[in-house]
Amino acid sequence: MQRSINLSKTYVIIGIVLALYGTILSNLLPLLPTNTVNTPIDLTNIFPLLSVAILSLSALLFSMPVVMLFVYDKNNGIFEYLLSTGLDQLDIFKGYVKASLLLASSLLAFVIVLNTVIGTFVGTSLTLLATIAILTFSIGVSVVFLVTVSMIAFSSLQKTRMGANQPLGVSLGIIPVFPALILPFIFPSYALIIDVSLAAAILLASIGLLLSIGKLILREKLLP
Amino acid sequence: MQKLELTEVSSGYGRNEVIHQLSLKITEPSIYVVLGPNGAGKTTLFRTIGGILKPFSGQVKFDESDLFYSKETRRRITYLSHLNAIPEEMTVLDALKYYAEIEGGDVDRVLDLLNLRELKDSKYNTLSQGQKKRVSIGKIFLRDRDLYLLDEPTSNVDPKVSKEIRDILIKLSKDKFVLYSSHNLYEAKEIGTYLILIRNGQLKFFDKVENVKMKHYRIGIKSLNDISRLLPEAKLENDYYVVTVDSPKMVAGIINDLVRGGAELAEVRELDNPLQELFEED
Repeated sequence: MQRSINLSKTYVIIGIVLALYGTILSNLLPLLPTNTVNTPIDLTNIFPLLSVAILSLSALLFSMPVVMLFVYDKNNGIFEYLLSTGLDQLDIFKGYVKASLLLASSLLAFVIVLNTVIGTFVGTSLTLLATIAILTFSIGVSVVFLVTVSMIAFSSLQKTRMGANQPLGVSLGIIPVFPALILPFIFPSYALIIDVSLAAAILLASIGLLLSIGKLILREKLLP
Repeated sequence: MQKLELTEVSSGYGRNEVIHQLSLKITEPSIYVVLGPNGAGKTTLFRTIGGILKPFSGQVKFDESDLFYSKETRRRITYLSHLNAIPEEMTVLDALKYYAEIEGGDVDRVLDLLNLRELKDSKYNTLSQGQKKRVSIGKIFLRDRDLYLLDEPTSNVDPKVSKEIRDILIKLSKDKFVLYSSHNLYEAKEIGTYLILIRNGQLKFFDKVENVKMKHYRIGIKSLNDISRLLPEAKLENDYYVVTVDSPKMVAGIINDLVRGGAELAEVRELDNPLQELFEED
């Protein structure tokens, strides 16, 4: 985890800035003048959901250095040595996924606490704060898991080394966040259930993908 | 009795077979120099023995235990690749601790063994090539092993560091198996007890280095006075009078004749490496 942060502070900073932005957005509603609250656009739903999406993406950016570290360690011969010590592909992949989830969880935990404090101060309802906390954590962690595993697989299978392809990773992260943003508008009464279910589905898919790549990606793909 | 045994091992990458049906048995702790031209399969062989690559066919066993499938057996061996495999952003101490956390071991012992104590707080990416190599070698000495696989351990390092590494390996080889690949034929001849020659993924030669015979031997003789009349057949090359003989046994006779003729000899040396012919032979 520490190595990832040292490798690229840029993503860490962007992640924190985006997280703060999301926190502000989620607590904006009570501060808006009442005439803006009753516009044709339902701001009571938009802002909190937008903040969930932004906070999830902030966690993704914050953990992106782990994927960069994966590529770096592969090219540096570190995986070659680790394989010789008795570790296998899955052991190596799990280490990086764990680092990614720890990074994401630490940012999300900080943001949720900050959001709750600010929200309480500005008068945001406890129900809304709790909803944002649950949605942010579940979607954020599941998206980070999925993107990290996908990027590890992609980086391992690249024939020509092209770096970590962070834009691809972020794009991959936006794909599951998008339905989490849109579906609650279509089914507003079930917003919480829909998003938590989506997060659970992404999580299960990520675990399945991790176990698969642990078996399917040959050891030689981890060599420099 | 400990032994390393390869039985008709074929190995490679994807569909590309690099090592073909190679069989080898090593039973004596010693330094085994693995020699071969570029692309011969030396690194692939080391990776296969090291459990990094799964053989396409055949078996690699260490003490009757399949190396690829036994993690416990793999813990008894270590592999040093030609890449340093050290996180560049870490200090020397942190890098060694990083590996010690993964596989255990004594960091303090390694700092003293490889004279790294003064460098322990230096960032790895600020070190010289020789210093970096010492740190890289340090990780394989964190724990005691029975089999050491070293892929060009002295490449890109200066003679002083090379000598330090060779001295450590010579001490190690008294009771451990050391497989050592090198392009430096003089070094190979100097420290190797056995020679394993790989060419096109096949084993071409496996015997003691002392049993390697050349077709001809070129001997260089340096004298403090002119000995051209005593050695009319010799050619002068870089201050050496060079003679070609069929066998090293002839050298003693030549030297005796020169001394009786009044030569003041400063040095006599073998100019060519007996391994050179093996290395280049088609």
